[in-house]
Amino acid sequence: MRFPIINSIYRKEIREVLRDKRMLYLVILMPFFLYPVLFTLMGKVGANSRDKINTETIDVVINSEAEGSELAGILTEDSTLNITYATLESNERDSLSGKKLYVKLPTAAELERLNADSNAVVAVAIYGDDGEDIVGNRRRRITEKMEAYGKRVTYERLRVRGLGPDFVKPVNVFQQDTASERSVAGRLLGTMIPVMLLLFIFIGCIYIAIDTTAGEKERRTLQTIYTTPVSTNEIIAGKFLAVATVGLVSAFANLSSLLLSMRLQVSMMSDGNGPSPFSLSLGGADILWIILLVILATIFLAALSMGVVLLANSYKEAQGYVTPLMMIVLIPAIIAGMPGMELTMSTAMIPMFNLCLAMSDIFSGTYSISLIGVTALFALFYGLFGLWIAGRTFGNESVVTGEKVDFKNLFSGR
Amino acid sequence: MSYTIEARGLQKKFGDFTAVHDVSFGLESGEIFGLLGPNGAGKTTTLRMLSGLLKPTSGEAFVSETSVQQEPTKALAHLGFLTGDMDLYRRLKPEELLTFFGELYQTPKAELKARVSYLMKAFDINDFADRHCEKLSTGQKQRVGIARTLVHDPQVVVLDEPTTGLDIMASEFVLQFIQKVAKQDGKTVLFSTHNLTEVERLCDRIGIVDRGRLVYLGTVADLLAQTGHQSLAESFFHLVGGSTKVEI
Repeated sequence: MRFPIINSIYRKEIREVLRDKRMLYLVILMPFFLYPVLFTLMGKVGANSRDKINTETIDVVINSEAEGSELAGILTEDSTLNITYATLESNERDSLSGKKLYVKLPTAAELERLNADSNAVVAVAIYGDDGEDIVGNRRRRITEKMEAYGKRVTYERLRVRGLGPDFVKPVNVFQQDTASERSVAGRLLGTMIPVMLLLFIFIGCIYIAIDTTAGEKERRTLQTIYTTPVSTNEIIAGKFLAVATVGLVSAFANLSSLLLSMRLQVSMMSDGNGPSPFSLSLGGADILWIILLVILATIFLAALSMGVVLLANSYKEAQGYVTPLMMIVLIPAIIAGMPGMELTMSTAMIPMFNLCLAMSDIFSGTYSISLIGVTALFALFYGLFGLWIAGRTFGNESVVTGEKVDFKNLFSGR
Repeated sequence: MSYTIEARGLQKKFGDFTAVHDVSFGLESGEIFGLLGPNGAGKTTTLRMLSGLLKPTSGEAFVSETSVQQEPTKALAHLGFLTGDMDLYRRLKPEELLTFFGELYQTPKAELKARVSYLMKAFDINDFADRHCEKLSTGQKQRVGIARTLVHDPQVVVLDEPTTGLDIMASEFVLQFIQKVAKQDGKTVLFSTHNLTEVERLCDRIGIVDRGRLVYLGTVADLLAQTGHQSLAESFFHLVGGSTKVEI
């Protein structure tokens, strides 16, 4: 293979990509606009919903008998509760709808008995349409006030008997997460980043692969290049490098924009407690392993994309292959993120699945070099196998002449 | 006798179907050769075998006495190939496209620059040099396509139906180009066509292919004498078993 020839083909493909506005938008510009806008919007909508939930005015109907009682007074103090008094019959309670709640409180006399008699119990009933209160927020706002009152009564009863609050809570459970901050962050990011990386590499690869293979077949420009003194391997190498470059750029652009947007979002919403998923710090060796795995994933996905879409005779037909291919790539990656999945000698052999598990282990800092090495070897094998398949497909006479590909003779060559 | 391009017993089978049967001919420098035949006769398949796009089932093709099948890189360096339906790289400008193909032929940098400059001037490409190929008219695309075929100064030019789909002006440009490269520059031109007027005007010799077989090889004058007809069309139909008469 002659490097200057490969370089010429590579530069030509990259030049065409850089002039393709759709491709540029999809691969580079979209991520830098999409994610910040998406996350800002999500943040704003989330914050607005949260504020709305906590401050929305609720219509509360309290039974008339409880008017003037201490509990009714507690609810009346809350300015977000619009209190009215009425005693509803059972059929009226059952037909409550909208944002209205009916709270049946004990009367003032019952509450007096509660405070005087340490064995006395009173009931509070809340009625409302749960379909209108999906997150249960409205009931919660009432319940919290009632429970706080009940706690005060309990502590007072204990105080009268010379007992402290621990009397009713003899066992205190103490919990501590001994996982390092990196491990926590790694678990959070380690399941998400590999899937995202593979998806972005694939998206970057697939569209340029379609344009440089099926697109060229359709336009018959592939035939032109085959009449020059250039070998099939040189053509594949040049095109493959271009596809892989775009895949890597796409992954880098998407991931950096995504992480940056998420980081900004988290820092805006964070209360400062607990480890942040972005407090992840990776060592030099970890970064090198991840770069190696990303490169191997790119080799495989670029080769797979080229080999498959080359079977299509037109750009449109090739687009029909995108969704099934994406499923092949993403399903193992998603399964790898499920609980209980571990990188072992067996799972290190499964394409895509192995890369996700390996990257996840590296992020959480709990990886075995030998298993990562085995993963890398298998990933390299699959990448080279994919390239070999792409090479055989490229060498097929039907592909060269732009005719319909005969699957029986797919690997027959020219 | 040394041929610049030669078909030696070319045969091509697609499954059970034999598209080309034992086709042999050789062309010399400065010769214009027309390959005629009805649709599906095997013209394109023959040209594709000669240009290395298809591998013959048996037989061999030679360009500048080098086997296309055995040493494709060496043989194809002397060949320029163009078909009527070949498009150009849409997002390249004509100069970039010519330079790209020159690089594929490993033309030295300075020589390539001079060659591209010469072709752009010779084919009046400078007038639309700043436009991407997708923005060019059919005639302009044809000029760039032909310049691309010549960028490495090949000894042999193979054109598969080069005037198909072109208007009169663009067709005339192609015909003049064929005349010039053969008679002034001494290159061998092999082209396939359905247009018998083009053949009578340009070709030193012709080959007629019918159902994959080369049924005639020689000059137009010899063909007329051999068949006893007055026109090439009548002689052509005489050979391929058709008729010039149409009953309505």
